[in-house]
Amino acid sequence: MVQSPSARPNRVLLVLGLALVAALLGLDLASVAPNRILPGEGVSLWVWLGPGSALVWAFPLLLMALAWRGTPRALHLSRGLVVVALASLPWVLAAFAASRVPDALPQARVTLGAGFWSLLFVLLMIWVELQARLKGATWLLLLPLLSLALALVGGHLESLALMREYASRSGAFHEAVRYHLLLVSAAVGLSLLLAFTLALAMRRFPSLRRGGFALLSLIQTIPSLALFGLLLAPLAWLAARYAWLGELGVQGIGWAPALIALVGYSLLPMTRNSVVALDGVDPRVVEAARGMGMSPGQVFWRVRLPLAAPVILEGIRITTVQAVGLAAVAALIGAGGLGTFIFQGLGQAAMDLVLLGALPILALAVAADGLLSALARLTASQSSREAR
Amino acid sequence: MTETPRIALKGVTKRFGAETAVDAISLNIAAGEFCVLVGTSGCGKSTTLRMINRLIEHSDGEIHIDGQPIREIDPQRLRRRIGYAIQSTGLFPHWTVARNIALVPGLLKWPRARTLERVEELMTLLGLAPSEFADKYPAQLSGGQAQRVGVARALAADPEILLMDEPFGALDPITRESLQEELRRLQGRIRKTIVFVTHDMDEALKLADRLVVMRAGRIVQQGSPAELLAAPADEFVASLLGGRDRGLKRAALTPVARLMRPVDARLPMEPAVAPDEDLRLALSVMLWHRVETLAVVDGEGRACGSLHLSDLMGGGI
Repeated sequence: MVQSPSARPNRVLLVLGLALVAALLGLDLASVAPNRILPGEGVSLWVWLGPGSALVWAFPLLLMALAWRGTPRALHLSRGLVVVALASLPWVLAAFAASRVPDALPQARVTLGAGFWSLLFVLLMIWVELQARLKGATWLLLLPLLSLALALVGGHLESLALMREYASRSGAFHEAVRYHLLLVSAAVGLSLLLAFTLALAMRRFPSLRRGGFALLSLIQTIPSLALFGLLLAPLAWLAARYAWLGELGVQGIGWAPALIALVGYSLLPMTRNSVVALDGVDPRVVEAARGMGMSPGQVFWRVRLPLAAPVILEGIRITTVQAVGLAAVAALIGAGGLGTFIFQGLGQAAMDLVLLGALPILALAVAADGLLSALARLTASQSSREAR
Repeated sequence: MTETPRIALKGVTKRFGAETAVDAISLNIAAGEFCVLVGTSGCGKSTTLRMINRLIEHSDGEIHIDGQPIREIDPQRLRRRIGYAIQSTGLFPHWTVARNIALVPGLLKWPRARTLERVEELMTLLGLAPSEFADKYPAQLSGGQAQRVGVARALAADPEILLMDEPFGALDPITRESLQEELRRLQGRIRKTIVFVTHDMDEALKLADRLVVMRAGRIVQQGSPAELLAAPADEFVASLLGGRDRGLKRAALTPVARLMRPVDARLPMEPAVAPDEDLRLALSVMLWHRVETLAVVDGEGRACGSLHLSDLMGGGI
């Protein structure tokens, strides 16, 4: 077949297709254990489905054939295939659990194996590669998420080890998510307030800039555990000295040092972005605003702030994503949150418990990132329309 | 008794630290006058302009508007009374064209209906079709269109005074020329008191009723363009006016109609000039066609006179 120069085989996709084949062929999809203590027995696709697995093989082969064609049409088809594959993963697991987990053992569980994770990873890589070429339609990724939600709500994934861990501590889990979110939003809100005030002060008194940023960078370089350690003694002393602080819950450990540390780490990106954002407003626009007779307050609220908003929002995004991750570490000093499960799981060598903490943190970070960048894009397009 | 000038500067000085940017200048600008401040960069012309709406406070002397010292007027209320247009417009990029124009009426809390009506009126006046441009954002406009919006915004609340700081400085020569023409025409209709800053002498000559030449914070000479061209005060003014190119600049100020003789039936209809075109253009046409007389033909294509090179040489310019 004659190929036009724009449609050549997509090598990246071919390699990723091979990786899919390797993951399906060589790695265990999942393992089944009779209870939490006993080690599981790995099951590969071949062992599970036997000759029937040929149906699954068709998928990577079809994908590679499309990659070989490389036309835009073929790439669009591949994207559809990948979305379908991602969306079917929860149901594959459900089917696996239904066929391999004996009903007689209520504690029996399915642990996701290397094969499953590789599959997920490679599928996402293929998605990224396709998105780089096709652009747009990011909402398609919502379909697999919807499918996952349906499988979860329908109770089809209950025998997953992850879900068993969740079921035995769902109360604590919801509490941890709530607490994690509370800690992060308090930290982001507080640091936004502080950083914005600091940014305004730096603009008014430029001599503050050097010292201010040096201090904030210094805080940023202290490792988080060391910072918690550093805060331990002074906070314990303060709480002992002033009873009302103790009543408020301020201690050497717990939420107080966690919040202080999170705010401390957030200050640098937040302040830097606020200063850059306010500096970046075209002085001629501000000059015109003043010349037209706007009061200083009107100039700030109607002109400066809306024009600076996209960059400030970008700062909030960076800070939020960072705080979601850092708040996990804060569990070490008894601040609660999703990190608790990670450290518990590490202590008990229960990887599924670690995942119960880690996966929601990942999801929160990705969600915060997506939401806030969408918001930043929206305000940016409001404030500086591209010329057509 | 003479009429109170719209704007009066009396011994106005501006010092920035040890440096004197504007040095004891005095200037009266009558109502309806188009006054152009011209000079090289750093001569204090822009500072002078910005002192009039108190974007910069003067250090010494007095500035009066309609006989009232501007220090007695609240700066924000003063500025809402004075239109202000600057180079590259300073339009708010996050506001639509219509909202930008409605800025000052909004600050003055005009009723909505009146503001809308005014915005539409101004857009039409400046050749921006409201249906097409009202909802556009500044980034979607060409330089010339954006500058029209800038002028419309300055005129929105119908101010008596219009301050313009190199408004056409960032435009290409063709757009710039057409906007100059348009501003001149507009001024014929609205008769505002305009103070206009530029470093471009051709622009100044084309627009000004009164030309004020500044150098190092002082006024070197002021008068009508014709007066300055006829008798530049010194070498500096002469060189600003184009040195030996001055003859043509002067010709550019005089319309053909001024030196026109009655219709000469023997003259062919080509080459021809229009009565409202300038003598510089007429001279160029003569040079190009190697003739010493031209037919003068009006807009409808009717001969209305003739132009002779000897009249140009005879001191008519």
